[in-house]
Amino acid sequence: MSRRSGWLAGHWLTVASPAVLLIGWELAAATGLLREAFFPRPSTVLAHLRRLIADGTLLAHALPTLGRIAWAFALAAVLGIAFGLAMGLWRRLRESLDPVFAVVYPIPSILFLPLVSFLVPRGETALIVTTAVTSFFLIAFTTTEGVRQIDPLVVEAARHYGARGRRLFTAVLLPGALPFIFTGLRLGLGFALIVVVAVEIVNATYGLGALLWLSWQVLKVEDMYATFVVIAALGAVLSYGLAALRARLLPWAQDVAER
Amino acid sequence: MKVEVDDVTVAFESHGRSVVALDRISLRVVAGEFVCLVGPSGSGKSTLLRVVAGLLRQTSGAVRIQAERPGTPATAMVFQEHALLPWRTVLANVAFGLENRGVARAQREARAREMLALVGLTRFARHYPHQLSGGMKQRVGIARALANDPEVLLMDEPFAALDAQTRTIMQEELLRIWATLGKTVIYVTHSLEEALLLGDRVVLMTARPGRVSQVFPVELGRPRGLEIRASQAYGVLLEKIWSQLREEVVRAMGDDRGA
Amino acid sequence: MALAVPLGLLALWELLARLAVLSPRYFPPPTRVGAVLVDSFAEGDLGGETLVTLTRLGSAFVLAAVPAVPLGLLMGMVKPVRAVVDPYIAVLFPVPKIALLPFLMILLGVGEAAFVLTGAISAFFQITISTLAGVQTMDPRLLDVGRNYGARGARLFGKVILPAALPAIFTGLRLGLGLALVAIVAVEFIAAKSGLGHLVYRHWQTLSIPQMYGAFVLVGALGLLLTRGLRALQARTLTWQEEPGRL
Repeated sequence: MSRRSGWLAGHWLTVASPAVLLIGWELAAATGLLREAFFPRPSTVLAHLRRLIADGTLLAHALPTLGRIAWAFALAAVLGIAFGLAMGLWRRLRESLDPVFAVVYPIPSILFLPLVSFLVPRGETALIVTTAVTSFFLIAFTTTEGVRQIDPLVVEAARHYGARGRRLFTAVLLPGALPFIFTGLRLGLGFALIVVVAVEIVNATYGLGALLWLSWQVLKVEDMYATFVVIAALGAVLSYGLAALRARLLPWAQDVAER
Repeated sequence: MKVEVDDVTVAFESHGRSVVALDRISLRVVAGEFVCLVGPSGSGKSTLLRVVAGLLRQTSGAVRIQAERPGTPATAMVFQEHALLPWRTVLANVAFGLENRGVARAQREARAREMLALVGLTRFARHYPHQLSGGMKQRVGIARALANDPEVLLMDEPFAALDAQTRTIMQEELLRIWATLGKTVIYVTHSLEEALLLGDRVVLMTARPGRVSQVFPVELGRPRGLEIRASQAYGVLLEKIWSQLREEVVRAMGDDRGA
Repeated sequence: MALAVPLGLLALWELLARLAVLSPRYFPPPTRVGAVLVDSFAEGDLGGETLVTLTRLGSAFVLAAVPAVPLGLLMGMVKPVRAVVDPYIAVLFPVPKIALLPFLMILLGVGEAAFVLTGAISAFFQITISTLAGVQTMDPRLLDVGRNYGARGARLFGKVILPAALPAIFTGLRLGLGLALVAIVAVEFIAAKSGLGHLVYRHWQTLSIPQMYGAFVLVGALGLLLTRGLRALQARTLTWQEEPGRL
């Protein structure tokens, strides 16, 4: 028995469950059991999705979203890792910044939009910076944890074998923290998506969030579902893509990530 | 005299009280000798080892190590919980000390392979630590220490975390390697049986504060194998030293209960 | 000591705003914001709006926790259940829950139900996942001990499985509450006509900047209180657990 069919046999419920749901939905909508105005048939949604792709609407909205996520993520990652490493290495710094972080972190990112727009007048930049805020905290936090959880015995051994200063950092502290940093990046990327959609709903004319909201306002329900599928797909790719990358790059790390 | 420990005291503050871990310890180790430090928990044996390794600063007193080969490190330590860098391959771990001292890649890899052959792990050069068993990881730790060609080899209860069967095999291995290389070794252990099996001399340490209680020469002949455990001389020596050690162990246990 | 840096930063802000280095229009001095906050509570609607947000939060949390915990437990103990539910969680967990808002508003109209449900769904996934993890990562030897000492079925569940999973469940509830708050405030910002999130939006649009900061601060304080409070509660009740996670 090939490996593939082995997996299928063991996991048929997992595959069947959504399949049954979709089929059931299609039938229920077709027979009028479900109101199509609220729950359009999956096949119809698919058709609308195809149309959106074909006439370029999807691309026109997806690209700005991707661009914002990329910029925000880059910003959050660079600053987050830098801060996280610094706080992991210097206790004083960590202890003084901790209370600030603790207060700011629970605030929903989107509330920062007004503040950011005061500091940074250009609309697009404000969107990007706002998107980066929560991700920044997440990445900084997990990076700090990553540095702190390194087995002190390993650090001692490394020191004993001659690793000092910069060498200790590049050969021991950085690789040691890497699994956690990766988890932080993964979470940060996921959050960037969440915030960008919210921010686009509020303040953008182009973007997946904007498209979703627009479709709602004109009650194009099928388009709403189609956009949602795209957003969900994006979320899955970002989340699981990074997880797969992690498995590749960090073969020694057991899965330290919680979902 | 290869190693001279001269009146070393180690005292530190703990919970507001002054704790004396080592109290004016003096010790002399001859070149090529295998010395075992035995004592109850808290006798400071590991502390002494760390002072000799330069990992811990003594409060007073001095440690002198005769350097016959300038350019090679004074000591290399094998840690109890192997303390390998999880993100490096076995080969890279063994070469770590050499890498930090700036040895060229070709040379250090050659030397690392030599050491791996010595401990019987040639096949695992490209593996990661998490893929190895406890005993294998510890062998890598030994290889790493030997790769540096230290003046003195320090071993901190290296086999304590292994199961009894693996431990026995490793002791045999160690005897074989030591007979081949003839290094000066200072070996810390809880186990009197192990000390008698491996050592030329047994240094008995007291419960805290750690002092040298007595030093026993081990005249059981060389080369030595596991079979000496059945000899009468071994049994007599074991009895003799244990009665003294036992006193210290009970005292240490009593201390714990009082604390 | 822990307050030194935040207070220092606030003092700096105060100074910069008064000296007009920071535009006092857009960055009012903290003392002004404080005064406005007090005023709004005393005479204005701030208390009421806070209550609105809290009510939504409470409802969302209960709505999420009540099904999520049993579901998580069930998924952890009964393999087929896990197999059936897993794909939905896997697909929906990374989706911004705010994206569900338009759909809920179509189904339930633009009102409380849609807002609360969005918050509930945000918390629901987290609580389920954490509960599941709690069951999955429990020491399997505990099960052996339980069975060996005569506990079966409901007893095994009540006396072994549930307590073992409790720390993770608690953590999940704590995280879920935080997520629900974020979702609800975000929803209020975007679509509601009441609540703290909406206040921030309204004051922003009408440029009543000190009031905006006031509402903003209140949201932060609420989030902090809730997470810290729950963490303290967790440490109190689950005394056998080592220190709960920092987030």
